[in-house]
Amino acid sequence: MSTGPGHDRWADTAGAYVLGALPEDERTGFEAHVTTCEACRIEVDELAGAADALPVSAPAMVPPPALKARIMAEVNREAALLAAAGAGADRPEPAKPRREKRRWFGLPSLALACTTLLAGIGVGAAVFAGGGGKTLSVAATGSAAKAVAEVDVSGNKAVLVAHNMPGPGQGKTYQVWLKRPGEPPQPTPALFTPLSDGSATATVTGDLRDGDQILVTAEPEGGSPMPTSDPVLAAQMT
Amino acid sequence: MRSSRAEESVDVRALADEDLVPLMARGDARAFEAIYERHSGAAYSLAYRMVGTRASAEDVTQEAFMNLWRSGAHYDRRRGSVRTWVLGIVHHRAIDALRRASVHSRRRSDDETAAERLEAPERVDEDVARRDEAATVRAAIDHLPPDQVKVIELAYFGGFTHVEIADMLETPVGTVKGRMRLGLKKLHEALSHGAVGT
Repeated sequence: MSTGPGHDRWADTAGAYVLGALPEDERTGFEAHVTTCEACRIEVDELAGAADALPVSAPAMVPPPALKARIMAEVNREAALLAAAGAGADRPEPAKPRREKRRWFGLPSLALACTTLLAGIGVGAAVFAGGGGKTLSVAATGSAAKAVAEVDVSGNKAVLVAHNMPGPGQGKTYQVWLKRPGEPPQPTPALFTPLSDGSATATVTGDLRDGDQILVTAEPEGGSPMPTSDPVLAAQMT
Repeated sequence: MRSSRAEESVDVRALADEDLVPLMARGDARAFEAIYERHSGAAYSLAYRMVGTRASAEDVTQEAFMNLWRSGAHYDRRRGSVRTWVLGIVHHRAIDALRRASVHSRRRSDDETAAERLEAPERVDEDVARRDEAATVRAAIDHLPPDQVKVIELAYFGGFTHVEIADMLETPVGTVKGRMRLGLKKLHEALSHGAVGT
């Protein structure tokens, strides 16, 4: 069994690595070392098997039925939306204007207000350190005015991360929309309900372009084909 | 891509985990539900063991399974079983929760293990297979020297880095890393050779 360059420095590290106990910089360094060190690679595989057994030792508990109900409600909603969207769901076509969708987005004053809101908080994009993606600021308003959120965009995927989000209201869920310039918002399969600590994440995939807006509204459970309320979160691709 | 009619007629409960994941990745909620039924107990138990309250454990479990539902396409069977994948996601989400809640700062005031500090869990009867497996792993852990168990539990269940553990236990970093490695090595040997008194 061969060892790689600098093995002595890393000789005792495999255990901490498989336990997830290395600080980020050390983890990165060890992973680079493992690519050149057969001895450490073998040890990582061996110790990972032991680490994988650790969760089994946790005292057995039964999750509450309400938890399953909550999760399945969300999953069934998303599955229904995915099914309704059909094969093009993952790669949405440019939106076709539909009159019935124009509730608030069809009203020039409100559309302007939305644009003004985005401009007013100085939406900006920062380049990730090495990821090739962007982080977009998010305007929070209405019932979610105290929320703090951002959207990480990488390739054709946007991940919304929010904190301090209020609940969407009884019988409602939050829905993410993608709005192209001059077109009505298109529903995405992303529905979410914040956790009890107010944190939430939602992922949108598709052909994201500069000028597009990512919007969040509170909608009836199961989501809506068109927005039924004003957006509480809004971000603009730049 | 959505489930076909042929797939809809499949009894998902008869399928192996590894066959359910591709269905789930194509948007089949029934496949997801079958995976949830099989692994939510272990997932919730792990989450509770790590975060220590029911509300947080539910949040962690919910986050993990929604993550699973939305990222089924990322499962690689060459890297382990579906169960290992599920519990790995739960582990990561629980560590995120611990860090969000700054539980670390509250927990490091003494040198108890993370497990000893958790509120008494609502124990339930385990099914036979899980009980046997759990007994084997617990017996293997019980055979380890206490100082090795402590650093392993603080790292895995407590989400602490080896540097934080060294600071907490006032022990050199190199010693902590060495104990982790040796403890896991012994655990691996015990589990591999069945040299565990259950």
